Amino acid sequence: MQNRIKELEEIARQIRIDILTMIYKAGDGHPGASLSVTDLLTALYFEVMNIDPANPQKPDRDRFILSKGHACPALYAALARRGFFSRDELPRLRSLDSMLQGHPDMNKTPGIDSTSGSLGNGISIGLGMVLAARLTGYDYYTYVITGDGELQEGVVWEAATAAAKYKAGRLIVLVDNNGLQSSGPVEEVSGLYPILPKWEAFGWHCQEIDGHRFEQILPALQKARDCTDRPSLILAHTVKGQGVPFMIGDNSWHKRVPTTEEYQQAMHILGGPCS
Amino acid sequence: MTALGNTRLAFIETLIELAEQDPKTVLVCADSVLVVKGRQFAQKYPDRFIDVGIAEQNAVNCAAGMAACGLIPYVATYAGFLTMRACEQIRTFVAYPGLNVKLIGANGGISAGEREGVTHQFFEDLGILRAIPGITIVVPADDTQVRLAARAIHKIHGPAYVRIGSGRDPRVDGREIPFELGKIRILAEHGKDLTLFTNGFVVNRALKAAERLAQEGIRAVVADVHTLKPLDKEGIITLLKQTGAAVTIEDHNIIGGLGSAIAECSVEDCPVPIQRIGLPDCFPRSGLPDPLLDYYHIGINDIVEAARAVVRKKKI
Repeated sequence: MQNRIKELEEIARQIRIDILTMIYKAGDGHPGASLSVTDLLTALYFEVMNIDPANPQKPDRDRFILSKGHACPALYAALARRGFFSRDELPRLRSLDSMLQGHPDMNKTPGIDSTSGSLGNGISIGLGMVLAARLTGYDYYTYVITGDGELQEGVVWEAATAAAKYKAGRLIVLVDNNGLQSSGPVEEVSGLYPILPKWEAFGWHCQEIDGHRFEQILPALQKARDCTDRPSLILAHTVKGQGVPFMIGDNSWHKRVPTTEEYQQAMHILGGPCS
Repeated sequence: MTALGNTRLAFIETLIELAEQDPKTVLVCADSVLVVKGRQFAQKYPDRFIDVGIAEQNAVNCAAGMAACGLIPYVATYAGFLTMRACEQIRTFVAYPGLNVKLIGANGGISAGEREGVTHQFFEDLGILRAIPGITIVVPADDTQVRLAARAIHKIHGPAYVRIGSGRDPRVDGREIPFELGKIRILAEHGKDLTLFTNGFVVNRALKAAERLAQEGIRAVVADVHTLKPLDKEGIITLLKQTGAAVTIEDHNIIGGLGSAIAECSVEDCPVPIQRIGLPDCFPRSGLPDPLLDYYHIGINDIVEAARAVVRKKKI
């Protein structure tokens, strides 16, 4: 277990390097949120999910939806590292002829199960996938990563009630609770808090973890999978810009391209190539 | 006296028939099971009936998730709550990925509003959906066409919208002509002086206007444009060329629906005098269907006058 955690930490480090390199070279993208979801994505794609990069459409695969689609540099980096497509694609992010759209596109990028980027919609799409599994005779899980800010969208709570009604036990939602949204701290922008009691009241199986520690992420995902009679939510406390200290606490990194100096500084911190 | 059909029942009976043949067929409601007469479906196929409650955005997103996993969900509820409340979900999560979700909108048009007033009269649905790429849009004229339309959209892969009514929907008088998705159908041909393009529950008005016009020597073709998208441009342009003038008659805002579609088609390929008849870009009142349509100038007299005007312009 301890060795595996070390391996996952190493993969997450490489993904963070890929994220910043991709955004730096493409000259566009959202680094802050990409860095906060990296460890959750690493756990899902490199340890937990039943997927096959050689057969991205296999019908019994686990599904994943990045509801906070703007964090897609992290997803693209994870998919490339996992072998869904070449890492050479990464710097072509957002360019006209690239398979890597500004936000995830299920028809253009292998391994993307749902188009996303308009906030708040991932949980309800995931519920549809879970309901479909029942009708088509599969027992796959559907994982959704949502931001904390996007929980302000009304459709989130529509999905919360419907998933409880349908006892959607194979729906597992991870909240990337980094505390910041586009215009500032979540607690200043909205009256969203407290988050967990709301989901508990809706009848969901709820857990609270440190979203950067695999020692906590992996057991929480296991518990969520074991609970098959109701949907699960994992409130994962994360840090926007995690891994790059000068980005932490500075929300301008929500959407910002590092200068050459900043990029080299970040690579130095992460132990990446300073190309 | 025009006979009434029930387009809501026609839809659900056809859906049950489709579900018998195709196990992928699912009905998704937003507390709309009574609206779309869905009880029969729910009783026969309880597993394939999903009701997410009064939550249209969630209904459309759930359908998108199901379609992404190979099912063919039909989201059926009031036309306006579907196309306006869940507009972005339709656009971004159904149309953009091209998922095989079917959308069924009840109370289409002001005449199908069940005297409920503006909140339940939907006259923007077609314009909204027409502006989104990739959605097949069908506006059936009566219950028979709803059956044919539902079978037709089931056969194609991809998003489609079918407008249905209040359940007390006028039948097209004395005509049953084969329905082909994407092709206009000629309902009457008195001559080639002008074309009356129409669809939906006002088709009878166009037919009656054409008869009255014939009596005064203005001979019209009546064409049913049941498929608003993809538009049968070839068929429409042929008629515009043959007749040189047109009136459009629809139960929708005159902006965005049939009138706009025909005008766009004409202005690019065959400019001719056109008048559009429909709700004149205002919020309508409550009322019974026929008086309501007359009040908002979607009456037989209005069609006749518009026809005279475009024929006159043609001669100048």
